[in-house]
Amino acid sequence: MTQKAIDRHIAPALHPIEHISFVAPNAQLLANGATLFCLSGLQNDTSKIELHFAAGSTTSDPLTASLCAGLLINGSHQKTAKQIQKALDAVGAYYDVSLTQETAVVTLYALKNQLYNAYLIFHENLFGAIFPAKEVKDLVHSRRQKFLVQEQKVSFIAQRYFQRSLLAGSAYAKQIQLSDFDHADRAAIQAFHAQHYLCGLKKVYLVGDLQEATIKAFALLLEQYQSKLPQSAVFEWQPEQGATHIEQDGALQSAVRIGRPLFNKTHPDFCSFSVLNTVLGDYFGSRLMSNIREDKGYTYGIGSHIVESKQFGYLVIGTEVGVQTREATFREIQYEFERLKTELIPEEELNLVKSYLMGQLLKSADGPYAMLDLFANVETVGLDLSYYDRYISEVKAVDAKKLRELAQRYLIWEEMLLISAG
Amino acid sequence: MIKFERFTLENGLRVLFHKEPTTPMAVVNVLYDVGARDEDPQQTGFAHLFEHLMFGGSVHIPDFDAPLQAAGGQSNAFTSNDITNYYDVLPAQNLDTALWLESDRMLSLAFTPKSLEVQRQVVIEEFKQRYLNQPYGDAWLHLRPLAYQKHPYRWATIGKNIKHIQDATMSDVRDFFQKHYHPGNAILCIVGNFELATIKEKVNFYFSDIPSQPKSVRKLSPEPPQKKFRIKTIQRKVPASSFYYAFQMGKRLDQDYYLADLLSDHMGNEKTGILFTELQRKKKLVSEITAYITGSIDNGLFVISGKINPKRSLSELDAALWPLLDQYKSKKMSQSALRELILKLQTAKAFQDQGLLSRAMSLSFFELLGSAELINQESARFENIQTKDLQTYAQQLLDKNRCSLLQIQAQ
Repeated sequence: MTQKAIDRHIAPALHPIEHISFVAPNAQLLANGATLFCLSGLQNDTSKIELHFAAGSTTSDPLTASLCAGLLINGSHQKTAKQIQKALDAVGAYYDVSLTQETAVVTLYALKNQLYNAYLIFHENLFGAIFPAKEVKDLVHSRRQKFLVQEQKVSFIAQRYFQRSLLAGSAYAKQIQLSDFDHADRAAIQAFHAQHYLCGLKKVYLVGDLQEATIKAFALLLEQYQSKLPQSAVFEWQPEQGATHIEQDGALQSAVRIGRPLFNKTHPDFCSFSVLNTVLGDYFGSRLMSNIREDKGYTYGIGSHIVESKQFGYLVIGTEVGVQTREATFREIQYEFERLKTELIPEEELNLVKSYLMGQLLKSADGPYAMLDLFANVETVGLDLSYYDRYISEVKAVDAKKLRELAQRYLIWEEMLLISAG
Repeated sequence: MIKFERFTLENGLRVLFHKEPTTPMAVVNVLYDVGARDEDPQQTGFAHLFEHLMFGGSVHIPDFDAPLQAAGGQSNAFTSNDITNYYDVLPAQNLDTALWLESDRMLSLAFTPKSLEVQRQVVIEEFKQRYLNQPYGDAWLHLRPLAYQKHPYRWATIGKNIKHIQDATMSDVRDFFQKHYHPGNAILCIVGNFELATIKEKVNFYFSDIPSQPKSVRKLSPEPPQKKFRIKTIQRKVPASSFYYAFQMGKRLDQDYYLADLLSDHMGNEKTGILFTELQRKKKLVSEITAYITGSIDNGLFVISGKINPKRSLSELDAALWPLLDQYKSKKMSQSALRELILKLQTAKAFQDQGLLSRAMSLSFFELLGSAELINQESARFENIQTKDLQTYAQQLLDKNRCSLLQIQAQ
């Protein structure tokens, strides 16, 4: 083969992403009113089932919700915690329970020929859960010990203070306090389980190359739950603003959280604001990373994110910086706000961010597991996959002037909540 | 079974290609055979600092990340005691961009003083964030030099202390690049929906003119077998006392690794493991306890670590732990327990192999160990293990004379 000479100064031609396919899962309404979503077409032996319960931390007191999630599969009328774990081990299954403010998500992973068997074990013990007093006591104790360690970390302190100030006055501001561990109540956990798990199944996601008959068998089991969906906690903004510093003796770094109320995907400004947020702080080449890490070396990392919930969304900028550069970091973040409000984003930078976002979306749609997450992101806020087509066209269309307007509307320093700890 | 193709360029660059027809993305993974173990004891933390500098612009391209982002991709890297691994994930139609960027920084870096100054600061902040500014964050900075006395695993990738990073000079940086960053010291792995011929053509185009260099011979002091129990206790204001029992184990490809992996899984299982059931549940000595292995290329460590409950002591834990470990030496694990462990590992591996990036990294790593083909032999190595092998191995592994204990005592 003859070798063409290479001129390394010349970048290879770029090829834009022409098309991204979004595949909706099969949706099946169960007799109890919950929805079963199935995504097949997986070309390997892995599979998972994800159950979404109306059992998030705002649906009761946060400690009860958290303990119930932690103790779901920890002893039933039929089996001890150890026996259940052994039975799951025998089919090579893993599970985890994650808790958001609105939802508890129980995920079970297994090879496809074992998923149903694994779920049977799970199902029996979730329905028969008795929350043995000993298990409750042990979990309370171990959670309390972990909480004591967390409390020493500046990032934990700043994040908690930020959330309860921004979400003040709502159920979303409630947080576990150290003293709560002294009053953990087994009866409350049992009642919570009966109401929010056995009667609170909202939806189920199944992924894997599963047979029709298996899916039918899953549906029959899932219909044993009730699906009386409790109303989400009412949410109204009463955010606090202004700066608070929490001093920590001996800290080498300060954790910083800056943010404000915003919106979720249902808001007309969301797609365009996502572009602005990416320019500001949501990728490695962002304004905040370029200035505060790559130019000044104040931090290992800084990021800006839109946090979404079913009913609302907010903006949060987070970093950990040397204690002596904390004030300078605040000034630089403010400076980057001002630039976005007064100057137009250069075309080259804007085009880069748009291409970057398209590439990331393509990656987020790659394969059934990723596709399902993408679907869940819109389904949760009441939208469907057409959102992504709209997102693509809005990202492509938004111009520097529109982004400057958005910066002027939302990136107002005086309206920010500014928290630092350390 | 992960299928792959392999070819080598004349300059010594080893290339792996794994075809994945279902994805619109491409992964380009470049593993350099250099880690913290290759550092001078007086200049530790250098391999990791250097990883940061690799993003500071190369000889013909002022900025590494911007062209990749403009192509819809992103990049990152990690440094371990053994290797430095860089990866790019981007839409497949822009594969050339990643090859152009990776080949240029393999050729040479821009070496700007500004990049060194800034990344030095960034790494110092990383040092504080991950190791110093949180309780127990520095445990491994103390455990490594206790468990290793000769081998360079005695320091962590971040370095022995911040001073080594502060003192790094531009000429140190250039020397490090010269020595370790060249085609013969690298493994390139590409994953995506491509044809082998296309990959060969593109890799040749971008990488074949990078000059070859002789691979430097690695002469590491082996860690001598430990003869006597070691203990270090640090007094500290922490919420709970913590402990780290570290036992000498074998190399990544030794049978040791597979045996130790199974033993640590069995012992450390959160609900059924003996450490949990006896020490946390029954005796209430600890609030958490687990077992794991480091899995390093050279001789690794089998570690049991956890935190002590209020009003209980490190010495009570110690007295209760050893008789439990003796059970592994005196009794065989049941056949069914062994089968379950292996099935769980296989399930975990199936999920791990789902990811394109994970496949690219594993292929590169096994190629470094000897052959990428090893990736497909892991499962059989576990399956060949018998319960008596585990018992014999436990007798050798869990010997108190081969143990180093770090205690962080709450004040």
